[in-house]
Amino acid sequence: MSETPEQSQDTRRRWLLSAPAILTILLFAAGPLIVVLLFSFMERGDYGGVKFGQFSTEGWLSVIYTKDIFDDSLVFADANLAIFWRSLKLSLMTMSGALLVGFPTAYFIATRPAKSRNIWLFLITIPFWTNLLVRTFAIMDLIRNTGHINNILIGIGVIDEPIQMLFTDGAVLFGLIYVYLPLMVLPIYASLEKLDLRLVEAGYDLYANRAQVLRHVILPSCRPGIIAGCILVFIPSIGAYVTPRVLGGGKNMMMGNFIELQFGQGRNWPLGSALSMTLLFIVMILLIVYVRQDGKKGETDGH
Amino acid sequence: MKSETDFTQPSVAAEGVVKKFGTFTALKRVDLTINQNEFFTLLGPSGCGKTTLLRLIAGFESPTEGEIKLMGENIATLPPFKRPINTVFQNYALFPHMTVSENIGFGLKMLGKPRAEIAARVKEMLALVQLEAFAKRRTGQLSGGQQQRVALARALAPSPRVLLLDEPLSALDYKLRKEMQVELKRLQTETGITFIFVTHDQEEALTMSDRIAVLSAGEVLQVGDARAIYDRPADRFVADFIGEANFIAGTIESRDGAQHRVTLDGATLSATGDVDVAPGTAVTLMIRPEHVQVSTEASANALPARLERTVFLGTDTHYYLRLHNGEPFIAREQNRSAATAPLEPGADVYIVVDPQSARLLKD
Repeated sequence: MSETPEQSQDTRRRWLLSAPAILTILLFAAGPLIVVLLFSFMERGDYGGVKFGQFSTEGWLSVIYTKDIFDDSLVFADANLAIFWRSLKLSLMTMSGALLVGFPTAYFIATRPAKSRNIWLFLITIPFWTNLLVRTFAIMDLIRNTGHINNILIGIGVIDEPIQMLFTDGAVLFGLIYVYLPLMVLPIYASLEKLDLRLVEAGYDLYANRAQVLRHVILPSCRPGIIAGCILVFIPSIGAYVTPRVLGGGKNMMMGNFIELQFGQGRNWPLGSALSMTLLFIVMILLIVYVRQDGKKGETDGH
Repeated sequence: MKSETDFTQPSVAAEGVVKKFGTFTALKRVDLTINQNEFFTLLGPSGCGKTTLLRLIAGFESPTEGEIKLMGENIATLPPFKRPINTVFQNYALFPHMTVSENIGFGLKMLGKPRAEIAARVKEMLALVQLEAFAKRRTGQLSGGQQQRVALARALAPSPRVLLLDEPLSALDYKLRKEMQVELKRLQTETGITFIFVTHDQEEALTMSDRIAVLSAGEVLQVGDARAIYDRPADRFVADFIGEANFIAGTIESRDGAQHRVTLDGATLSATGDVDVAPGTAVTLMIRPEHVQVSTEASANALPARLERTVFLGTDTHYYLRLHNGEPFIAREQNRSAATAPLEPGADVYIVVDPQSARLLKD
């Protein structure tokens, strides 16, 4: 079908009008990603950076393999995989932990009288006003060996020796849950607030006890909020940098720290870029798997 | 829960039930007995406490004082999920994440019934409300009337002792409401379950109920069948809330059993009523518009009036009259013959009152 002059003019105008948006996306979203992707396929520079135009798969190889210093043979990089695994494990645990704490919190707020809800929401968001580093150092001050918790426990005679809490995976997990909790509470609250309380009553009326009402009525109704909360917490925690750095010490690295290391002391930009892309793929694959699962569930549920 | 049925027990009884929300008293000492297999209606304007009473029976609220009894047993402290009572909610409250079948089977599933039994019962319920074709649909895809029927089926599926209906027809359009009234009455007769129906619509109450309780401001004013409530209202509120009524002030002249002579506006009328008042007391007389005849000739038991407006409505003619003391009066007559023309406005007429229909009310 050929276009009339007016139609083609109209099409051109539409493209022109959407140009700023397309340009913004290209410049600030797609552009940097392409740069990172290109860097991951280049030779590493001697003092950081990359040697432009020199193709190399070294960066990508180093993601999973490491060269033996003596005979240059490739060995599986256990350390890297351990970091991947820790990141994945910690962020899944953060997500679950935040859900366990966040759901009751959101439910509590959603069931308050309409007037006081805003105050509770305000209280939830207050920590966001303080710098993340300051909050993280505050946690550090609480849990270090000569910190408040250990001091109090020793003071009242529960323990003799301070418990090593700082620089453990537990500390990182606690820090991550604390930092990302509002991101879990807010979307769940939004979906719970819309929940028709008569549905809860209908559940009770139809012989469901409290646990059954929660499972069969409340949870399915705020599923979208729970999923949004989980995604919002999972994605930033898998790439978290500050929290594992401060609370995990140098040893308990997560991917964020590992990537930073390559761009800083490691001076291995291609590896850093490849790692960034790997992180991106992990998140993307998980999201795709989830979306497909959810889509299937929606189809079998009815229609 | 007793399995055997004791037919001497009332199905539901409220004994001295008081419900307060903070400083607001929603129910002021309500005593009510609802029989087994009865279609019982709680009728009253909004805010009269009828929904509160229903919620107390369902278990969503607990009474501040008094007892709620089911088959003679006090259930006031039982949570709703332990009461063999189900509710049809005002806006149906169907679970949006479930299909029609899942909604209907929910109660049985929560009771831990085997799958096969649930499936059979759901099928039976779908047939009862004529929704077999919609079993797999999501509730959001149904029309109001269909949702209504799903809500009914869902509440009936676990075979409750009592079914509570909280203004279930208010969201439907007029025609559908009419159909559902008949449908509800049929379901009640077929299932033999006690229905407690809450409404503010007097017509709905008169159509379906075996007995009606009229509530106002947290009190039960009168309990009785449709005729008792309509023809022998306990007080002015009931008379005014159900149907139309003329109220005229008068003075008791004499009394002979239940029959009283009342003087008003220079005329003397005969009226019935259970009020025990001495001659000379001021009373209110309630006269339904259809219980009078408008005539141009004076007769016994008639009030002189002036005809101000005549409205011909095909089956009926409405007369808007004014008594000599200035009070308005409405009369309604059926047009029994095409040959008889309605009276013309402006005429001096007499309102002939049926002595059995004029009713004395407590003031």
